[in-house]
Amino acid sequence: MFNLIYKELRLSAHPNLFIFTLLGILVIVPAYPYEMVFIFGCLGPYITTVYGRETNDIYYTALLPVRKTDIVKAKCLVFVLAQMTQILISIPFAFLRVVVLPAGNPAGIEANVAYYGFGFIIYAVFNMIFLVTFFKTSYKAGKAVLLAIIPASLIMILMEVLVHFPQFKWLDSTRANDLPKQFPILLFGIVF
Amino acid sequence: MTILKIDNLRKIYPSFLLDDISFSISEGKIMGLIGKNGAGKSTTLKGMLNLVKRDGGSVEMFGMDFFKHEEEIKQHLGVVLGGIDFYNHKKLSDITAVTKRFYKNWDEDAYQNYLKVFSLDPNKRVKELSSGMKVKYMLALALSHNARLLILDEPTSGLDPVARDDLLTLFKLLVEKKNITILYSTHIITDLEK
Repeated sequence: MFNLIYKELRLSAHPNLFIFTLLGILVIVPAYPYEMVFIFGCLGPYITTVYGRETNDIYYTALLPVRKTDIVKAKCLVFVLAQMTQILISIPFAFLRVVVLPAGNPAGIEANVAYYGFGFIIYAVFNMIFLVTFFKTSYKAGKAVLLAIIPASLIMILMEVLVHFPQFKWLDSTRANDLPKQFPILLFGIVF
Repeated sequence: MTILKIDNLRKIYPSFLLDDISFSISEGKIMGLIGKNGAGKSTTLKGMLNLVKRDGGSVEMFGMDFFKHEEEIKQHLGVVLGGIDFYNHKKLSDITAVTKRFYKNWDEDAYQNYLKVFSLDPNKRVKELSSGMKVKYMLALALSHNARLLILDEPTSGLDPVARDDLLTLFKLLVEKKNITILYSTHIITDLEK
């Protein structure tokens, strides 16, 4: 499995997968819709699958002395690792923004506990639909991304819209007394 | 010793049927799979290599059922798929660095030797190679992990006569000197006669 992951990172991954992973730092940008971080996290795997199709990655890999199930597992693992690394990279910047940008984010949700909860849910929904649909053929990436990005986008829109309603003000907060209300979303996202 | 044995291989497409393909090859022999374009040569090779799902038949390589011992068999198998280039933008050295990790019998000295014999520059990218050089690079990879059976899908298609002769001489040499078995698909009858 380690060799397959090495192969994914060295040969199969499109450079954008690495760049989009680094874009977790976008949570430090003032007045920015932070859902974009998750959009980039969904685009990275999509672009890599299209790149793999153009470079005949699946033929090369299928000829290696490995189990086919391990090929799929390695690809899925690399995509999930990229998304989780992106979230990890963003966390220090989410803390930093509370200090350097105390006025908050007028463009949408704060990079707070609820935001990361929504992030886990978005990635779970996207990956479940995208990866399952894509690996039925290993080349129909367009159909897979279309089917996956629609529900993922609806959750992103919900996340960004809810914070504008006064009764959901706690969702847009980084204050300590609002965090307990946000933790169930994070927990649900992690479990989901 | 029979290296490859195909029995009643069958693949059904909506507009195409590959039916009842059976043949076998002994060790150290070269065998041609000949047919016009669209006859099903590539489908036969892909079906026996499990690159497309077959609808029937059995495939034995080195005396083992291919579909039950795929990992083990592929350790001794080299495949060149004509017209399919891997990772055009990558350097040969990058592809080799990954490929060699998967083979227990990888022989680095042999690989370096093949690079010299085939005049391959490891710092070149795949897209910078001619069609003949791409085939030679794939052969260098296959021979460096001591493949005993080479399956070549139209490796000489699109090559000029000099490059084709060059490759055919090499195949002959591999069979005669190294006792390697080759299954070779082509639509060029003169290549097979040679």
